[in-house]
Amino acid sequence: MGDLDLDNSSSLVGSTASGEATFSEPPAKKKRNLPGMPDPEAEVIALSPKTLMATNRFVCEICNKGFQRDQNLQLHRRGHNLPWKLRQRTTTEVRKRVYVCPETSCVHHNPTRALGDLTGIKKHFCRKHGEKKWKCERCSKKYAVQSDWKAHMKTCGTREYKCDCGTLFSRRDSFITHRAFCDALAEESAKAQTLGSSQLANPNPSPNAGKAVVVASPPPPPLTPSNNVVSPALSIQSSEFPENPVGLSPPPPATTCLTSTTTAISTTATTTTSTGNCSNTSTSVFASIFAPSTASQTSAAANSSYSNIVSSSAIPSASAMEPTSLSLSTSLYLSNNGSTLFPTADQQDHRQYVASPQAPAMSATALLQKAAQMGAAATSGSFLRGFGLATSSSPPQAQDSTTSLQWSNNSHSHQHKRDGSGGAAATVAAGLGASSALLTDLMMGPPVPFGVIISP
Amino acid sequence: MSVLFVDQKMAQEDGSPVTSSAMYFPGLGSPYPWLSPGIGSPYPWLRELKSEERGLCLIQLLQGCAHHVASGSIEQANVWLEQISQLASAGGDTMQRIAAYFTEALADRMLKGLPGLYKALNSTKLSSIAEEIHIKRLFFDLCPFLKLSYVITNQAIVEAMEGEKMVHIIDLHSFEPAQWINLIQTLNARPEGPPHLRITGIHEHKEVLEQMAARLTEEAEKHDIPFQFNAIVSKLENLDVESLRVKTGEALAVCSVLQLHSLLATDDDMTRRKSPLATNNLQKVMHINKRTLGEWLEKDPISAYCLSPDSSLSPLSLGASPKMGSFLTALWGLSPKLMVITEQESNHNGHTLMDRIIEALHYYAALFDCLESTVSRASMERQKVEKMLFGEEIKNIISCEGTDRKERHEKLEKWILRLELSGFGRVQLSYHGRMQAKKMLRDYGYDGYEIKEDNGCLVICWHDRPLFSVSAWRFRRYE
Repeated sequence: MGDLDLDNSSSLVGSTASGEATFSEPPAKKKRNLPGMPDPEAEVIALSPKTLMATNRFVCEICNKGFQRDQNLQLHRRGHNLPWKLRQRTTTEVRKRVYVCPETSCVHHNPTRALGDLTGIKKHFCRKHGEKKWKCERCSKKYAVQSDWKAHMKTCGTREYKCDCGTLFSRRDSFITHRAFCDALAEESAKAQTLGSSQLANPNPSPNAGKAVVVASPPPPPLTPSNNVVSPALSIQSSEFPENPVGLSPPPPATTCLTSTTTAISTTATTTTSTGNCSNTSTSVFASIFAPSTASQTSAAANSSYSNIVSSSAIPSASAMEPTSLSLSTSLYLSNNGSTLFPTADQQDHRQYVASPQAPAMSATALLQKAAQMGAAATSGSFLRGFGLATSSSPPQAQDSTTSLQWSNNSHSHQHKRDGSGGAAATVAAGLGASSALLTDLMMGPPVPFGVIISP
Repeated sequence: MSVLFVDQKMAQEDGSPVTSSAMYFPGLGSPYPWLSPGIGSPYPWLRELKSEERGLCLIQLLQGCAHHVASGSIEQANVWLEQISQLASAGGDTMQRIAAYFTEALADRMLKGLPGLYKALNSTKLSSIAEEIHIKRLFFDLCPFLKLSYVITNQAIVEAMEGEKMVHIIDLHSFEPAQWINLIQTLNARPEGPPHLRITGIHEHKEVLEQMAARLTEEAEKHDIPFQFNAIVSKLENLDVESLRVKTGEALAVCSVLQLHSLLATDDDMTRRKSPLATNNLQKVMHINKRTLGEWLEKDPISAYCLSPDSSLSPLSLGASPKMGSFLTALWGLSPKLMVITEQESNHNGHTLMDRIIEALHYYAALFDCLESTVSRASMERQKVEKMLFGEEIKNIISCEGTDRKERHEKLEKWILRLELSGFGRVQLSYHGRMQAKKMLRDYGYDGYEIKEDNGCLVICWHDRPLFSVSAWRFRRYE
């Protein structure tokens, strides 16, 4: 391969297809060079910005009509009935062409770093030196090239990792790295620790705490690409957040997500497991990781936001119902903690209401579910039939129950697994059988002689 | 002596509910000694029941009692009520409390059959506005539902009002300043600055509105936002839309939290008479006695479903409700940019009493469970909410009819149908609203609640049971 002859390359501005041939050796097969490292034998073309962006680059020399594609131009030229000599193209050889960026400060201005594709150089010029006219409405990212924007729209919002501080990541690794150092997270876990929220005895597994954070939702219907950039409509976060979007994400990711990174990020990764109870342990880990300076910063930040809340709650209210008056504090945009409707005083009230854990009883919803099952199975169809109530085994979707008791099909019942001991079942069944027997008698109407039962 | 648990055989039998003579106290003449109120404290076996058995027993008893009340047999119902009263208690566990309020509602209904008695007993009731407001505040404090609704509503408003300079909000039941204070603060932080904000609050009682006005104006002044509060003292059904003074050029948002359903109250007999087909079917149902009803339902389940008009989702199933229709039309005439509606997610507007009782049982069971898990049993506040809020709703659902029955909750599908027919288009509630709501739950340590998304609307659930739905709408021009 010969050396690229630098002197021969031209940097003419304003010419169209002027170039200088170095070696005209058409390549045997189309091979791709690395971007920015062009084929030394290629023809270097420099176009002015205007020409680069021009849509009609191919101009008919006869009538000066512009065309986007060379083929179109050739077709058009045929119509001019040119004499044979002029009909041919200037050169028959196909020379590989590379293009330089007209922006002098750009690295691709240098012919050694020319780009091989015209579309590529156009895009490059737009991206780097152009104005970003296309905007994603969902996440406010701006693009200069329409195809970039389109490509982004396909993935925006589909698979996102969102930190509690509001930063969005499309890549898992960057998300995890961020989380390890995220201030907002430290603040939140510190706060959780002080509130002792995990102390509240609540046997129900919290669906929110510690589940996987990956939000995979289908993207909204494809927005028609329009030239209306920075559209005022729709998504709020495009224009509203001066800083990080408010923490809007689900809580800390699952264990699997984190344990894999513990090696990489040493001990900074939180060790939250999927139950909320472990938040205490994790916060201690977290707190110890952060150097005293940062800890004080985060706690100071937490304090300051709370002082906002507390101070605002001191606003006197004219209401007679003072203990429950609600003065609101920071809202959506104001703090990383997001909208907080109620002062901390209220939180204490809320916790005060919870006394010592009462004897774990089966919830009413579970009881209803159980009654439905038992009613359908155990005592008898005839028992319920006597009531005039059918027990259909395949009931329809009960958005309302018809005149028949569709106990077994209440689609909203919550299955409780707490009470499942076999020991209780027998006595319960006995109790139920007894009571149902009693009720059957009630239903039967007139009193019966002692010891004789009529069954329907 | 134990009479219940002796005979295990009985429980294991499937099929016929054969009982043994061990059921009865030997030696006593009446076959139902345990039923007659005369006998001292004789129900040892009832006391021995553990919480779960008692709960199941209560369910069965409620079921039976409801049936008798529905068919109008007071004497029978009385007997059952007596039984239930042995087990139910407003201070006990969840099922006991529910039973207490349901039986109170059933008794109330029965008593209406003796109008002289009923009026005499209810004539000296004291109602205090302050107490009502206090109860609503307690509900706001103890349960997160209202807070969630406000958060979601405000988020929807802020999103819809992006770029608007003049914003007018109409609050159909304006009693909680917290909601709008939060909105004021949020709007204040908009990059383009706060809009000129007008809030029109509607409430029955002047005092409430005065307090709202004071708090909100104070808050707006603090943030230096151009603000105006208009108070409209009126019941919702009597609302004069002209008095809302919606101006041209302002962006209008309407907020309705648990208010719309009361407009469905209508004189049901009249409407039923207007639709003869439905009436015939219903009359057929009413007249069939309990035994043959069961057989009939077994033979012909399909027609049973076609029976009740609210089992299908056709526009016919919506039922005529003139007040609702005219109200929605009036609102539509204002061309609101946004209307956010929060409603209870349950069907308490069934035609038959049994339907309503069953649905209410499931719904309030979840609500009571929710309170049980967050508030202690000894709490007076909890009892107040249970009695004066939930209890009153239950009473209204079960014991009232016609225009008196205001608590006509309906499910989201019905609301969607209704609003679409009235000319409103759906606005999807955003991902961010839901996230805000979830974050709020987390921040304040509310456990066990879920926010689900259903076709662009949000549903607030207690575990799996949907309790409240929030949907957003806009004025839609007919094309």
